[in-house]
Amino acid sequence: MQTIILGSYILVWPAITLGMLGLISYAVVRDYREARRTNADMV
Amino acid sequence: MNSELFQFSTITVLLLMVAFYGGTYLLSTRLKQNDGDADGFMVANQRIGLGMGAASMTATWIWAASFYAAATSGYTYGVSGPLHYGFWGALMILFIYPFGRRFRELAPNAHTLGELIHARHGASSQLILALSNLLGSIISLMVNLTAAGALVSVLSPLSFQAGIVIAGLGVLSYTLYSGFRASVFTDFAQLIAMMAIAVVIIPAVLFAMGGPAVMVDNLSNLTAEQANIFSREAFLHQGAPYFVAVLAYAIGNQTISQRLFAVDESHIKPTFITATISYGAIVIGLGMIGLMALTLGVEPINGNMNNLIPQMVSSYLPPFFIGLFFILVIGSLSSTADSDLSALSAIMMADVYGKNIAKNNADPKKMLLIGRMTMIVATVLGIILASFSLDILVMLVFVGALWGAVVFPVIASCFWDRVTNKAFTWAVLSALAVFCLVRFDLLPMTGVLAIGVELLASIGAGVVGGLMVFGFLGKRLGVAAFFIAAVVVAWIGVGTLREYTVLLSSLTAYGVSTLVCTVISLASNERFDFDLIQERVVEYNKPAADELKGETVAAR
Repeated sequence: MQTIILGSYILVWPAITLGMLGLISYAVVRDYREARRTNADMV
Repeated sequence: MNSELFQFSTITVLLLMVAFYGGTYLLSTRLKQNDGDADGFMVANQRIGLGMGAASMTATWIWAASFYAAATSGYTYGVSGPLHYGFWGALMILFIYPFGRRFRELAPNAHTLGELIHARHGASSQLILALSNLLGSIISLMVNLTAAGALVSVLSPLSFQAGIVIAGLGVLSYTLYSGFRASVFTDFAQLIAMMAIAVVIIPAVLFAMGGPAVMVDNLSNLTAEQANIFSREAFLHQGAPYFVAVLAYAIGNQTISQRLFAVDESHIKPTFITATISYGAIVIGLGMIGLMALTLGVEPINGNMNNLIPQMVSSYLPPFFIGLFFILVIGSLSSTADSDLSALSAIMMADVYGKNIAKNNADPKKMLLIGRMTMIVATVLGIILASFSLDILVMLVFVGALWGAVVFPVIASCFWDRVTNKAFTWAVLSALAVFCLVRFDLLPMTGVLAIGVELLASIGAGVVGGLMVFGFLGKRLGVAAFFIAAVVVAWIGVGTLREYTVLLSSLTAYGVSTLVCTVISLASNERFDFDLIQERVVEYNKPAADELKGETVAAR
């Protein structure tokens, strides 16, 4: 039980990082499409 | 466990750096160029979307020291150590968001927080803020270049100075032409690389060393305090001083306020929340490598805690992962260094030239020249200062105090119409003076004096708690939180806080600046019309409002 708790405590951070990586990438792709559609700069 | 770190050959490390900076440079060339766009050079198009905005905020907030310090915290304080570094740092990104919305509402065209303060109070308050920003960004640039030199010299036969020069020129190469726009655009790619590497490296080290089961078997290596997730030691020595320090950092650092003025106003909230979670997850995760080292009884090579992560990666993983780690650190320090260059150029362009020399009639092309010259001078200065490996602790402490002293006056100036220029200036100067007396032990911390300082620090703790609650829940609850936090800290802290000089001096700076600012403001009958700020803070690419009026009259 202790092993699962400690393992989860450590591995939850890269798991969250992976989730945020997906979210940020998705948001950037969406912004890129929007920028192309409106012929505007992303930044 | 290896007693020496893995070494790359000179060619390999040069190839890695050329690939990194060359790739980043090529990326920056994809930006459309506009030769006279001074506003774009400082705050991009002010409509940066959620993804780019959050990525840039996260990449800027994470610097090379973030990994080393989080791992050191894990190694020193055990289970709760990484949390007491990463969690509070992450929370500070979130903390600035409600105040950031107010800054944008007051001055939608601003490029720096200093411009807003100039419009509110005039030159002296603005220049205090600009000076603290300049010092902070130069120190940050120097620290990041130092980290590059240290990394290169530890992992390859190349010298410390060679690492500094390559990193300095590399960062300058892709930031010089497009300024802040290049910084934001490349931050995204750098952060994606950092995140992907963190996702791979943390579990890779854990399972290569035997997995969680081995850690559980070795938990006896931890003291009772290190094994306690609610460790008081970790909170008082690491968490609390860091919490107070980064609160000041969030308000006083131009790299963050620059992004605040650049992101799409309708996306400010999700941008800050995303950046908060991303920063916390990456930094706490890498800090766990310090905890792994502690449980295994690893001793850092040469007693240098900065060797912990490279040592663990080097010992348990193949060279490919050490290359990934190398890119991770170079990415983190470069994304912060390019933000520092952009921040420094914006301060010189807007705060110094725009407001105090050109008096709002700035020539955009001259501004751009000033911005680029600032970047070149700052890079040369950063390279020279980093090469000398100066002891910057005193300067760092001083800047931290300056930032702590400006937090309340800046926030109060944006919400309370009675705050005057005199109140702002004296609040900062007096807080700084008291801070120095406490921080450098210039007064004996005994008897009534010690109790007095502890009570001032308790007021400072009340200010920190009160401001946080005020930002999210409004004035009434903020005031209630101030009194509750001040009374609780006074109750616990009188007689004890004197043992924690760093925490005591930081909180005292908050307490003194708040008291002085409030008393002088209450003694004044002045009232400020906040609508004036929007009129006074202009876009430099467009003619100022009075100029337009003059043209209209001439046309008639």
